[in-house]
Amino acid sequence: MSLINYLVLSGILFSIGAVAVLVRRNALVAFMGVELMLNAANLTLVTFARMHGDLHGQVLAFFVMVVAAAEVVIGLAIIVSIFRTRGSASLDDVNLLKN
Amino acid sequence: MNSFVPPEIDWAALSPILIVLGAAVVGVLIEAFVAGKVRRTVQVLLSVLALGAALVTVAWRWTVVQSQGATSLVAGAVVEDAPALLTQGIVLICAFVGLLVIAERSGGEDAFAPTAAAVPGSAYETQARRMGLVQTEAYPLVLFSVGGMLIFPAATDLLTLFIALEVLSLPLYLLSGLARRRRLLSQEASLKYFLLGAFSSAFFLMGVALLYGYSGSVHLTEVATAVPQMTGMDGVLLAGVILVIIGLLFKVGAVPFHSWIPDVYHGAPTPITGFMAACTKIAAFAALVRFVYVVAPGLSWDLSPALWIIAILTMLVGTVVGIVQTNIKRMLAYSSVAHAGFVLLGVVAWTSSGISSVWVYLLVYGLATVGAFGLVSLVRERDAEGNVTAEAGHLSQWAGLGRRHPVVAVCFTVFLLSFAGIPLTAGFIGKYVVFAAAIEGGAWPLVLVAVAASAAAAFFYVRVIVLMFFTEPAEDALGARATVVRTEGLSVVAVAVCAIGTVLLGVLPGPLLDLAADATKFLL
Amino acid sequence: MTVTNLAWVLIAAPMFGAAVLLLAGKRSNAWGHWLGVLASAVSAVLAIGILVELLGLPAGDRASQLSLYSWIPAGDFSVDVGLLIDPLSVTFALLITFVGTLIHIYAVAYMAQDAARRRFFAYLNLFVASMLVLVLADSYALLFLGWEGVGLASYLLIGFWNHRTDYAVAANKAFFMNRVGDMGMLVAMMLMFASVGSVDFETVFAAAPGTNEGVLTATGLMLLLGACGKSAQFPLQAWLGDAMAGPTPVSALIHAATMVTAGVYLVVRSGPIFEGAPTAQLVVVIVGAITLLFGAIVGCAKDDLKKALAASTMSQIGYMMLAAGLGPIGYAFAIFHLITHGFFKAGLFLGAGSVMHGMNDEIDMRGFGNLSKYMKITWITFAAGWLAILGIPPFSGYWSKDKIIEAAFVGEGWQPWVFGLAAMVGAGITAFYMSRLFFMTFHGKARWNDGKNDLPGVEQHPHESPALMTVPMIVLAIGSVALGGVLMIGDGFTTWLEPVTGVAEHHEPVLPAPVIIIATLVLVLLGAFLAWRQYAAAEVPITPPAGSWLTRAARADLYQDATNETLVGRPGEHLTRVLTYTDTAVVDGAVGGLGSGAVGWGERWRRLQNGFVRSYASLMLVGVVLALVVVLATRV
Repeated sequence: MSLINYLVLSGILFSIGAVAVLVRRNALVAFMGVELMLNAANLTLVTFARMHGDLHGQVLAFFVMVVAAAEVVIGLAIIVSIFRTRGSASLDDVNLLKN
Repeated sequence: MNSFVPPEIDWAALSPILIVLGAAVVGVLIEAFVAGKVRRTVQVLLSVLALGAALVTVAWRWTVVQSQGATSLVAGAVVEDAPALLTQGIVLICAFVGLLVIAERSGGEDAFAPTAAAVPGSAYETQARRMGLVQTEAYPLVLFSVGGMLIFPAATDLLTLFIALEVLSLPLYLLSGLARRRRLLSQEASLKYFLLGAFSSAFFLMGVALLYGYSGSVHLTEVATAVPQMTGMDGVLLAGVILVIIGLLFKVGAVPFHSWIPDVYHGAPTPITGFMAACTKIAAFAALVRFVYVVAPGLSWDLSPALWIIAILTMLVGTVVGIVQTNIKRMLAYSSVAHAGFVLLGVVAWTSSGISSVWVYLLVYGLATVGAFGLVSLVRERDAEGNVTAEAGHLSQWAGLGRRHPVVAVCFTVFLLSFAGIPLTAGFIGKYVVFAAAIEGGAWPLVLVAVAASAAAAFFYVRVIVLMFFTEPAEDALGARATVVRTEGLSVVAVAVCAIGTVLLGVLPGPLLDLAADATKFLL
Repeated sequence: MTVTNLAWVLIAAPMFGAAVLLLAGKRSNAWGHWLGVLASAVSAVLAIGILVELLGLPAGDRASQLSLYSWIPAGDFSVDVGLLIDPLSVTFALLITFVGTLIHIYAVAYMAQDAARRRFFAYLNLFVASMLVLVLADSYALLFLGWEGVGLASYLLIGFWNHRTDYAVAANKAFFMNRVGDMGMLVAMMLMFASVGSVDFETVFAAAPGTNEGVLTATGLMLLLGACGKSAQFPLQAWLGDAMAGPTPVSALIHAATMVTAGVYLVVRSGPIFEGAPTAQLVVVIVGAITLLFGAIVGCAKDDLKKALAASTMSQIGYMMLAAGLGPIGYAFAIFHLITHGFFKAGLFLGAGSVMHGMNDEIDMRGFGNLSKYMKITWITFAAGWLAILGIPPFSGYWSKDKIIEAAFVGEGWQPWVFGLAAMVGAGITAFYMSRLFFMTFHGKARWNDGKNDLPGVEQHPHESPALMTVPMIVLAIGSVALGGVLMIGDGFTTWLEPVTGVAEHHEPVLPAPVIIIATLVLVLLGAFLAWRQYAAAEVPITPPAGSWLTRAARADLYQDATNETLVGRPGEHLTRVLTYTDTAVVDGAVGGLGSGAVGWGERWRRLQNGFVRSYASLMLVGVVLALVVVLATRV
């Protein structure tokens, strides 16, 4: 099984994540798209680690997971505060700042 | 079974970073254990002392590096060389004055919501305000962010770079949402910053992954050595490099990754905007310069077309859209986009004078920015009963300020003239060295565009000066006369330092130019 | 630490005084004038100190450069600020600060009734500081900064009483004519930069011998144009008479002793340039000769005391220009005459101010007469200046002017005869109109209403001026008497200036020197006698008589305003109309077009920022994709 397949998969996941950020209106789902992109990068890292035969990529993936978790904390706090203020988590409703 | 050999850690060399991060941790503990009444004073003192001590330490390490040479620390993750130390020094200077503005309690209240968890307009919020609650967590957050900003320029490892990026950004996402007034705008700014920031971090991380895949290592030196060996994997290399650069350009505010800047600068509390606008740009540009000059010199032919287009677009969009703005914070936000474009000229020059010119421009820009936003936070509207309320955002409210508050108007004029690049202010020196470096590097079309953009940008700077000094304020509701609120003195000190620095560097730039010229060799 | 290292204080003290007086505002009205005097005095003392130090050094070591700071130390193009302390600059500095301080003291009493006295002293200090920058500069760029500074101070001071429109107009006229001269300076500096690559004295003078003569001639002529503007030489002389609208201390300081001599300083300092361009030198001499005669003729017909003195200044500077244009033999004498002229002309102006002070600000000499009885000190000091300017030995003017006339007679061909005779005849005419001035004011029968005779006009009570005014006049009178003789002892002054002007070989004039001296003295005495006969012995009509065509022409300043109007003014107006049209139609159109273009694009691009975070994210994604495409597609 060629390792290139994993890279292709991670590319697809990355694109799906990016498109999710663009297309989905709910803030939580958009953030899930960002998480998907981060995980796609993780997959890439692990694949390349396997390709090169060392463990750096896997260690990096660990660090990225930690950072992503921290980001989730911050992100959810912000989204929840918006939700409590407006009663909706729709990204299109937050458009007071423009032009 | 080999025994584990712990790495050598030069604690003294890491001291600036450790001081700031240590103070941040202590700050969190203070939040938990110190009584409410004295908490703010303790936090402010701690933060000021920490930043001051870090600045002194950086100066000490600079002398050490000048005599003994640069060293790599923590097993190659972080480096201590002249460019890193100079940039850390600049970040600390701007962060110090920025912190003074953040700690300011103008009109008896500070710039942050009494409790950010309260829903705007709810009874809980009114009760919190009446109880005099203070959101002092802002100070440790600022310190964490500064800690990240200190690591960012010194990181020689793509992983450390990523972590520093996140450490500096996450507190800022939170801090943007903490404004006391106009809380809806503030929360919106926070959400936008977070989402777009996370989005760009993901691109950055993908770039890191691709570079790792290409070179087998995340250490910048090893990636750099792998660059010349283009063996058909150069697509991966180029894609990785450009994605990492894009992640850094997002932080800097280059077009087309600038969309967050106007909204976030507008919505965030003004002291935080000043701090962000100055310090994140400094740290991000430092990391960008290191990355570009260490990893990418061999790729300059491939990267230049894209970077040139980005630089030109940044200067044009920042200037042209800035001309049509009517809110002062948004106008300053677009102007900072334009300035990012000018600094990019130094980056794409690919010469060592380009590197030193970037440092000069960043310090000059940082001082003027913190000072300008510090003044914006002091100019307030008045409501029908004469109470001082939120900031006077609309430009028309600034009319006639020169007559009523001449000192404020004159200081603001100094900063605006520095932005415009008028001789005898530091801005002129910054622009001069950047343009000279770009011409030396052969990027003269960019300089032409830059000069045209500077001339056009001078319009919206001078428009504010004319408004302040030569226009009579209208008496209708929108033009309700802006007033300058009474301060506790911290902002005054910060603005004075920035104004004096701006004029002094404009008249006697010699020492700064020499210092920057010493800081152009990156330790590989 | 030598005194010379403190030379920057010379400029800093009056600059500081000006800043304090302008910023402190009305609060400093009580003591402001004394601060002004003090600032000027500090510079005077320091200048004397530097002189003493320089005298102690051997002649070759007397030039030193004091580098103040480097503004932009960026490799080849660095902008440095520095001062040049050498005999020439120190001489000027002494003149400016010493005479300047005396005039500051005089002005304390002269302007005592004026509510804006503090502002006056601020401008005076500003002037002293700028003039010192001009003479102490070590490069044409810094000299130009001082040049502009004195122009600004002159404008502010001429129009000081700008509530009178004609005074404000006079100030504008001075400013405009000076601008024409400044254009000349700028073009000269551009030529220097283009051919040598620098504008500082050291580099330019070192490169001068090797530069193309055409370039040197052009540079010299442009420098001369600048000098003409500042020193009121032909053809830019029309502003000096009108500049008398300013208060008398201003006329004394700026338009007699110092600013108007800046042009002579420029020509002497630029000696190496002129020496490589004999044509330019000849033009300088011609301009000097024309001006000295022009000023003398105009001076004969002026009834306004100050305007007559102004014409005399113009004429005397013509002498200096003539000497400066003669080359190394003339430089020292030009500066010598400049110094002695500074003393006696300032003294004459201060005396005129004293007369005005005692005669209710009356300025028409036809309303004076017999004032020697009432204003003894003024009369005696004025007489000292009068005898000096006539060139009667042993007064100072004799030593300096005679040397110039002698030097004018040196040379070959037609030049020594034309210039020498012009200078000599000019001396005679000078004697005539200066004696006319003296006798009309102080002698003859009183032509003013003293309450007892039934002459028309306001009743006058001429009285002597207070001590603060008379003491400076006395000091200047002593200078007018003695300075010339003192400086000539052992050729002291010429040797002092040699490091700058170069050693001049002694040539014989075409007429033997004693003949020149005697002929000049005869003409001078003749002129004085004619004036005595007409204005002291005979009755002077109170209303000016019609006079001959020459008198009428001289009263109208030899039709200088009409000439300027036709030659320059009207074509200038046409040109301005064309340029204004081009400006509004083409340039403003272009700029406006760019501006509205920018605004148009701005409005369009601003709509990209529509507030929806998803569209921001899509913009980012588009950016990433495009960047990837550009980078990957342009792979080398």
